Amino acid sequence: MRICGGAKNKNYGPIQITAEQIVGEARELEESVIHRHHRPPKQKINDGTELGEYRLRKRKEFEDLIRRVGWNVKVWVKYAEWEESQKDFDRARSVWERVLEVDYKNHRLWLKYAEFEMKNRFINHARNVWHRAITLLPRVDQLWYKYIHMENMLGNVVGVRRIFEMWMEWMPERHAWLSYIKFELKYKEIQHARDLFERFVLCHPTVASWIRYAKFEINNGDACSTRNVFERALDKVVAAEDDEEAHKFFVAFADFEASCNETHRAECIYQFALHHHVPKGINC
Amino acid sequence: MSEERDVHPDCRNASNPYHECTDYCFRVIAEAKLRMQLHHQSVAQASGGSRREEAIPNELYPDEGTHDDGPRPEENSDSEPDQPEPAQENMEDGSFPKLSSRQKKWMELRAKMQEAKKRNQIEIANEKKRMEPPTESRGVSKQKWLEDRKKKIGKLLDANGLDMTKAYMLDTQEAAEEKYKKWDKDPAPFGWDVFNQRTLYNAYKKRTKNIEVDVEEYNRMKEADPEFYRDASSLQYGKAPKISEDKIDKMVQELKDRDAKRGSFSRRRKFNDEKDVDSINDRNEHFNKKIERAFGKYTLEIKNNLERGTALPD
Repeated sequence: MRICGGAKNKNYGPIQITAEQIVGEARELEESVIHRHHRPPKQKINDGTELGEYRLRKRKEFEDLIRRVGWNVKVWVKYAEWEESQKDFDRARSVWERVLEVDYKNHRLWLKYAEFEMKNRFINHARNVWHRAITLLPRVDQLWYKYIHMENMLGNVVGVRRIFEMWMEWMPERHAWLSYIKFELKYKEIQHARDLFERFVLCHPTVASWIRYAKFEINNGDACSTRNVFERALDKVVAAEDDEEAHKFFVAFADFEASCNETHRAECIYQFALHHHVPKGINC
Repeated sequence: MSEERDVHPDCRNASNPYHECTDYCFRVIAEAKLRMQLHHQSVAQASGGSRREEAIPNELYPDEGTHDDGPRPEENSDSEPDQPEPAQENMEDGSFPKLSSRQKKWMELRAKMQEAKKRNQIEIANEKKRMEPPTESRGVSKQKWLEDRKKKIGKLLDANGLDMTKAYMLDTQEAAEEKYKKWDKDPAPFGWDVFNQRTLYNAYKKRTKNIEVDVEEYNRMKEADPEFYRDASSLQYGKAPKISEDKIDKMVQELKDRDAKRGSFSRRRKFNDEKDVDSINDRNEHFNKKIERAFGKYTLEIKNNLERGTALPD
């Protein structure tokens, strides 16, 4: 007779428990724990020694946490931000440096560290942090953008230019070049911008870049230089097989010639375009 | 009634305890009386109609008149000089004194009844709306949404002789333009693509818009520094110019603004406390929310079948 482990009566019992009831009981248990039994009472900090004790306790908690979950960046960040809130900047810095030892590739850490320095007005410290960040992670554009923005806000134009130059040495994406050019144009450095554009079309020899260069010349240069640009671009455009861009280019070129009242040249351009590329509906 | 209120008993807002009669009230009362007299003459010929029935048209006003009561109580100063008038009006018109005591009471009661009826109707409709959806508490299936939509614009469609497929014909020009704009816009990047080249550049551009370009200071700095256009590999990399305090302040302020803005990127969702509790914990609840987001729409039918106990035959 094996009764243990084997129930003879296989009917369901008269009173059944429901899932909702189980869940409800679990929740009640949680609440009673949280609200009544196991939470420490809220204490007010009255003087220096109490503050010291509170800090000691918190620090111990944080250090334990990072010893347990050192791979989780979030706990480190919380620790550093708590130290910042306690206005203990040296300790905060040490925490930040320790995280960076763990994971320097995490660009978010660098961003937060630099923001910490900037918010607390340690400009040279911030510069140091930024410089290290862009040296270690040169392909993360956010770092460059934010560093440049900081120097820009501080009005250190020389610094901005220097950072941009450093960035351009890495041949970054189009948008980086465009932001540099915009910066130069803000201060009306036309010749500089022109040189930049030359470098730009060397670095990104696409039709779009040439069109951008030409537009710049139309806005800021004279007809002669614009025509020069367009003509140089012509060879590149013909060589490139990209029809969409090419047709945009031809339209831009022809518009420019039309605006210079050189309708004959505009016609020639259209003829040329029709010969070499099959257009998908140019608006003449 | 110990207090004497400045209210004419014929006034349509008489039942409102805060109302005080003004010029406007008296004009309205006068007009009403005129109409009443004409009506009275016609009714007197038809039947020996009691005065009570004539009073009934006036009762229509208390319902509509309740809206007007807001600004009226403020015009207290006007009511005093007008005090002698209503007394005179009462004396002149022989038929109306009856309204002052019983009729006023009746008008009040009728007003209350109608008010209650209206409010009951609204509550019934709301309750019906509230009670219906819980049949499918986990999510609204597409069919229900379609039916809802059909109900909403069905009448309009039929009025114009349109089909559901031509529902777009009901849009106004502004609504249509907005729809076109939405189609043209590129969808905002989400997920891992949020910080792509384009968005970073746009964010940078947006931030630089706030920087003032001071061309004179720029020129001054140009003269002061012989190596203004320095290269990346310049040896003067360590030298930094003196930064004025207010520039630093501006930078700190901008950072703080950015922080505040960051907080408003995701809004706090309303806590739906009627929803079934299916978690034992806060972490569990969070997990359930995430999993519902990911798999909710695929498991909707299955869940509904389980709740119902049987699967539907389609």
